[in-house]
Amino acid sequence: MSDAPTTDGEQSGALAGVREDLAGLDGYRVALYAAVLGLTAFYLTPIESGLVTAFKTNPEGVSSTLPFAPPPGEFFTLEKWETAVQALGRGMVNSALYAVPATVISALLGSFAAYGLTQADWRARYKAPILAMFVAAIFIPYQAVLVPLSQFWGSVPLAEVLTPLWVAGVPRAYTGVIELIVTHVAYGIPICMVLFRGYYTTVSEEMIEAARLDGATFARVYRRIVFPISTPMFAVVLIYQFTQIWNDLLFALILVSTESSPAAPVVLILAGLGESQEGQDFALRMAGAFVAALPTLIVYVLFGDEFAEGVAS
Amino acid sequence: MARLELDDVRKVFTDDDGSDIVAVDDVSVDIADGEFLVLVGPSGCGKSTTLRMIAGLESVSGGDIRLGGRSIVNKKPQNRDIAMVFQSYALYPHMTTRQNMSFGLEESTDLSDEEIAERVENAADLLSIPELLDRKPGELSGGQQQRVALGRAIVREPEVFLMDEPLSNLDAKLRSQMRTELQRIQEDLDTTTVYVTHDQTEAMTMGDRIAVLDGGELQQAGTPLECYHRPANRFVAGFIGEPSMNFFDMDVEGDRLVGDRFEYALTDEQATAVANAGTVTLGIRPEDIAVTVGSEATADNEFPTVVDVVEPMGNENAVYLGFEADPTNPFVATVGGMRQLDADERVVARFPADAIHLFDGATGEALHNRALDEGAEVEPRV
Repeated sequence: MSDAPTTDGEQSGALAGVREDLAGLDGYRVALYAAVLGLTAFYLTPIESGLVTAFKTNPEGVSSTLPFAPPPGEFFTLEKWETAVQALGRGMVNSALYAVPATVISALLGSFAAYGLTQADWRARYKAPILAMFVAAIFIPYQAVLVPLSQFWGSVPLAEVLTPLWVAGVPRAYTGVIELIVTHVAYGIPICMVLFRGYYTTVSEEMIEAARLDGATFARVYRRIVFPISTPMFAVVLIYQFTQIWNDLLFALILVSTESSPAAPVVLILAGLGESQEGQDFALRMAGAFVAALPTLIVYVLFGDEFAEGVAS
Repeated sequence: MARLELDDVRKVFTDDDGSDIVAVDDVSVDIADGEFLVLVGPSGCGKSTTLRMIAGLESVSGGDIRLGGRSIVNKKPQNRDIAMVFQSYALYPHMTTRQNMSFGLEESTDLSDEEIAERVENAADLLSIPELLDRKPGELSGGQQQRVALGRAIVREPEVFLMDEPLSNLDAKLRSQMRTELQRIQEDLDTTTVYVTHDQTEAMTMGDRIAVLDGGELQQAGTPLECYHRPANRFVAGFIGEPSMNFFDMDVEGDRLVGDRFEYALTDEQATAVANAGTVTLGIRPEDIAVTVGSEATADNEFPTVVDVVEPMGNENAVYLGFEADPTNPFVATVGGMRQLDADERVVARFPADAIHLFDGATGEALHNRALDEGAEVEPRV
């Protein structure tokens, strides 16, 4: 904190500045800073505890130290991280196989839909019911669609259609990955559409008209004007969708179901990681959680600047 | 380059409750090849809607729009060969000036990259913005963005330019500068232009002809001076000219007009013109009122008045005068900037017989317009 008092050794100018700062401190300010500090600690403690636990031996290190204390020398180990990476590695690849395409496709389709519902030249009275359906779709709970979803995929001969893949040597279990892509795209479009729509309604109508008068067709206007200026919104939607899809356990459980499947996503493997007859390996579970969360963090870092711009707009 | 004809063009908007709103009511104007037509009127008069129908951004409810003799009503905006300059400039924010100006040529023509670059550079020279070509709109001032928006229209070399209040976001000094420059460019390129504005000064100074709209109806189309000196009706007379023409409601009694505050003696010609009207509106422009110091009216059509407020403009003073008998609702007269008049001073105002306009009290139609000197130029300049 910059308001902390400095020592006597400081220059007199700095001292005067500090005195001025302290003079401005009233009870309200003190309480405010205390509350901010308290909240920060409240939110950071579990993450910090998880992080230090992941470097401890199990069960000795975990049971003989305080949860949030760093591991002392004799209990420090990197072994849990190695185990976690080994166990989760194939799951990370499988998750990426459906999370990346599903994220990109749902964002693109959501953007198309929003463009059509905002800038296309048709009557508001026809737009309204379609928009209402999109909005309603956001609020359908995933739990309510699990049974119809599995029945639907049971009735679709997807595995037969994909025969060339199996002939090429891909395990048949990867049908589940394709199913996950389609399902996540379908359930992701409504929220993506609504996010993009909010952005496109603020786009200058005159600019779109100018582009049309400049000779661009409706599709060209999207390609050359609307798509490039939606980058900040794409960052928001990509981060949001990727995190949702990567972390989703429910659909993965229904469509792929077992962690032993070659197509098991990281969430399924993580659920069973460190569980055994002898008890729970907390250190391994913590390391696994951090490894599984890493891609979502990377996405945040990659699109962070655009994300901030998109949220602000 | 082509001639643009609006033939009984009509626009009806249907409200949500099913009621119809007529925004543009059977407007017909012929715009000659290379002509600069200004559509002018108060806000909500339908001038922007008319422009948007020409552009194809609004559908036409009735009538026809022809460009070079061929109807364009059913053509899409991108196929009309029309370029438009918007009030908000509507530049593409993610593109540089060069890309903004190239966009239309890339989308609407088969020109090679070199030809496009050449045309963009020529247009940039014409507008003196070659140093801005590699900047994005966000880094440009309002006046510079305005030039880029113009440049984007110019490079297209379209049949028609449409301009929707392009100068209204500029400050006053820059606006008058751009006004002159726009006129110069239009004259150089000789492209048919329709220019929409609510500002009667822009209409008067820029147009070859002006078309005055009110309530969706065309009131008059004519040269600026025609509209100024020979207004077709009371609306045009009041809209064109700053300060506005003074109006007085009067009853016709033989060769005299009788109002609440004064009586006016008509010439024989004027009396004949108003013979069939029960009531008329007498109109006189502020600069035509002769103001002399004194308190006694010595002749017909002179009225003793009291100065209410004086607004000095430098070159002239706008003087608000109240009739001595009833000083409410003062009227305005302009006198030379060097003349010293003070509030509450008593002066005599004379309404010269050859300067008055007479409008029908019921319909507002002009019954008699002011006399003009021989050779006064009111005919089209084109």
